[in-house]
Amino acid sequence: MFPWVYEFHWSVGQVIFLGAFFAAVILIAVTMTRAFGRSLRDLRSRSEEKIRWHAEFHDLRSDARACRHELTGEVQHRTCTNEFDCRTCNAHPKYVALRAKEPEADSPAEETLFGLTMPSDRMYHRGHAWTHREEDGTFTVGLDDFGSRLVGIPDFVDLPAPGTRVRTSGTGWSMTKNGSRLRVLSPIDGIVVEQGSAEKDWFIRIRPDTPDVSTDHLLRGNEIARWVRRELERLQIALGPTDGAARLADGGELIQDISAQIPASDWEAVCGEIFLQP
Amino acid sequence: MEPLEGKKSRYGMAIDLDRCTGCGSCMVACAVENNVAPAEERADTNTGTTWLRVYPLEGGRKNGAQDVAFVPMFCQHCEHETPCITVCPQNAVDIDPLTGIVGQIPQRCLGCRYCMTACPYHARSFNWWDPRWPEGMEQTLNPDVAPRMRGVVEKCNFCHARLHAARAKAAIAGSREIAPEDYVPACVESCPAQAIIFGDLADPASEVARRARSPEAFRFLASLGTEPKIYYTSTRTWVREKAEHPVESGQRVGAPAESPVGA
Amino acid sequence: MDEALITRGTSRMPWKKFLLWILPWTVVLGFGLYGTYLCLAEGLNQTNMNNRFAFGLWIYLDLTVIALGAGAFFTGFLLYILRRHELQAVINSAVVLGLICYSGAVAVLMVDVGQPLRAWFTFWHPNVHSMLTEVTFCLTCYLTVLLIEYLPIVLKNRKLREIPRFLVFEFELHKLMPVLAGLGTFLSFFHQGSLGGLYGVLRGRPFAFREELGIWPSTFFLFILSAAAAGPSFVLVTTWLVQKLSRKQLVRPEVFRFLGKVSGILLIVYVLLKTIDTIFWINSTSPSVGFPAFSYYTSASFGTWILFGEIAVLGLVPALLLLSKRMRSKSYVLFSAALLTCCGVMLNRYVMTIQTLALPTLPFDQFMGYSPSWQEVATFLAVIAYGVILYSLSFRYLTLFPQERELNKPSWR
Repeated sequence: MFPWVYEFHWSVGQVIFLGAFFAAVILIAVTMTRAFGRSLRDLRSRSEEKIRWHAEFHDLRSDARACRHELTGEVQHRTCTNEFDCRTCNAHPKYVALRAKEPEADSPAEETLFGLTMPSDRMYHRGHAWTHREEDGTFTVGLDDFGSRLVGIPDFVDLPAPGTRVRTSGTGWSMTKNGSRLRVLSPIDGIVVEQGSAEKDWFIRIRPDTPDVSTDHLLRGNEIARWVRRELERLQIALGPTDGAARLADGGELIQDISAQIPASDWEAVCGEIFLQP
Repeated sequence: MEPLEGKKSRYGMAIDLDRCTGCGSCMVACAVENNVAPAEERADTNTGTTWLRVYPLEGGRKNGAQDVAFVPMFCQHCEHETPCITVCPQNAVDIDPLTGIVGQIPQRCLGCRYCMTACPYHARSFNWWDPRWPEGMEQTLNPDVAPRMRGVVEKCNFCHARLHAARAKAAIAGSREIAPEDYVPACVESCPAQAIIFGDLADPASEVARRARSPEAFRFLASLGTEPKIYYTSTRTWVREKAEHPVESGQRVGAPAESPVGA
Repeated sequence: MDEALITRGTSRMPWKKFLLWILPWTVVLGFGLYGTYLCLAEGLNQTNMNNRFAFGLWIYLDLTVIALGAGAFFTGFLLYILRRHELQAVINSAVVLGLICYSGAVAVLMVDVGQPLRAWFTFWHPNVHSMLTEVTFCLTCYLTVLLIEYLPIVLKNRKLREIPRFLVFEFELHKLMPVLAGLGTFLSFFHQGSLGGLYGVLRGRPFAFREELGIWPSTFFLFILSAAAAGPSFVLVTTWLVQKLSRKQLVRPEVFRFLGKVSGILLIVYVLLKTIDTIFWINSTSPSVGFPAFSYYTSASFGTWILFGEIAVLGLVPALLLLSKRMRSKSYVLFSAALLTCCGVMLNRYVMTIQTLALPTLPFDQFMGYSPSWQEVATFLAVIAYGVILYSLSFRYLTLFPQERELNKPSWR
């Protein structure tokens, strides 16, 4: 096998054959080493949140990945190709320009939809976290009414300690209910400066890295209603045709605690759909 | 490997099929010389180990009755693209450039049996059992030959131990070449009809080379092109016909269902 | 009890029922391993192989599962190299099948050889002219590649992916999949071919011996083609079976049709080349070494119907069915044609392994019969049981079919 082994001779056949074999072995070793090395680098640079979101986004069903501009009508059918990060999306500015061409109806943004309270002064992440820019430049982040009703009262809430860095679409905080652990995705990047408490309606306060941080990727204003409507449809489908307990008739209201009404395994799957954790 | 200096021999045999009586002494002598273990109880003709087998070959008529020739068949020590050498994955078979003997290395044999599939002459045996000698019989073992372990292939190697003995004798005598009479394989020695001649085919004066050149000489499955070094001679044309053309037109290959000698 | 391990959004049978499914296969596996143990401890006299029939059921099993497991490399090639993204739906399943087939084949090989502990000799003292050396090297490398390809599938398990180390490693490994797929294709090309070459170089067996194209006999190329044709069909057949057993739709019908089409194209090319090869063999190769071809088909039950069956009934017929779009659109026709393709390849391997050894060469040879002993059959069954168990576990806890969630909940788009 090697030149120093008895019977080895430098013939064409030996060289080609063993050369090919060693090339294959080296290629396997190099590939594994590269994967391993890159993994170490990723872990050291704390990119696992980014990678997790990337993996989960691509595991979502295609109807969960509808582009926001499909929701608001600028395009008939488009699946997001940028992991819901409109800030770095090439197509987003073009669609925004398209929207500007059509004059907006002057009606104020709806605040109550299907019994849900979705204040219009807040911005919403597709994972149902809301955020509000406070005067001191920090952002408060909470769970929107839709998400709250889905979870009900959590058994346990695990908030990040002050000083923790959060990434957009990475883990904001997690809640445990019925033995399952759910992560709520953070709407923005920054450092957690304060944890919420039972009295406050927000869960964490985040200070962004720069005061003028972009929030283009978050839904706001007239988009909210269209998005909530779509989310309700998705919820309906996720609950399935045979489940009677939480059916929504047209104009009906979403009940307060869905988790109590449907079997735990179904609820788990539904949460996965809605909170973008396949 | 670089060949050693010395005369290049091509050891081969010439077997006179008109003399072979089918007695089977050669098979016994071979087994005794080469420490072939006695067959296990469950062994049959195809799982028992024998390096050499005498087959009956039927055909032709003699004195109004069916004629039969007895054919000792064993490793033919093929010279050209030796099938077992080209297929062995571990190089456990080699051909000695100085003697032309195709040798098997049992310590390296994996037991994959590819060589057995490749051999056209079915000359190779596999050790399906661990070799066992009954109490007391180990005294009959030949000290010059290593027994093989279970799971490896073995075959005729022209009584290699006798070649070593002949070389040792020549070295002691101070001679560079072995005397032909010192190197005689067991089967040759034991044949009562003296049907087997062994010698150096590369030496034109040797008896075996002379017989190999004779018009009665032929080889089995010569059409396959492996250049075997075992020549068979017979004045009976039907024997030669069968050997060179195993399939006659309209007929199928093969003997009627009968066990060969040595079952 | 184990719902936390099952992919969110999919449903699997209750764990008690799953155990009831696995249990009989475990029993079969245990029985099979006992047969294997006997062969290893007592020696190969436990089999019905003998000095004339040196290769038996196990070698046939090896050649067959490797041919059927070719789906792994070929699907990988089509997906990662030729970028046919529709195969994303079955690649995971194909990799698991490939892993089962190749690991089973290697395990059986270790029992088949007389001295398994000497297996490393082939690496230390390789004979580069031997086809079996080539097979050994390639199989070892390819099994490693398959294990590495299986790893990301395992790491994507719902619970395992939560561990940051595994999540990140899976991500990085997946980015390098095209490299592994390419290497897998290269290795598969050679070992599929060498398995054919194994028989094509046998001068001593005129039935199997073929002329060379370059340094390889024609069987080298024919085996590659037939394996590439059988691979997608086998993936199709197993997916169809799993769908039936799990009562779920797992892939879109277009994926099945695509697999069928690929199989059909390769199969028709194979049938054409095999026909040419057979005609050449009958008229030239075989007679030139003194064995007219008709003589192979006069013995026992191996008549010319075998040749006709292999090329026409199990080759041309499914090829034509799979090439017709109308036929492919009918799911029962598609499945049957794929099954026929697999059977054709299995028959081809049978003919090459068993008929080759059965046929006489010397004038005093007889046509040999062979039937495997129970220990051999037990080992064979152990491989099948192992395959079913591994696949069942993978199907339960891993995402083998990415389209499953979409297909089992209604989508309004």
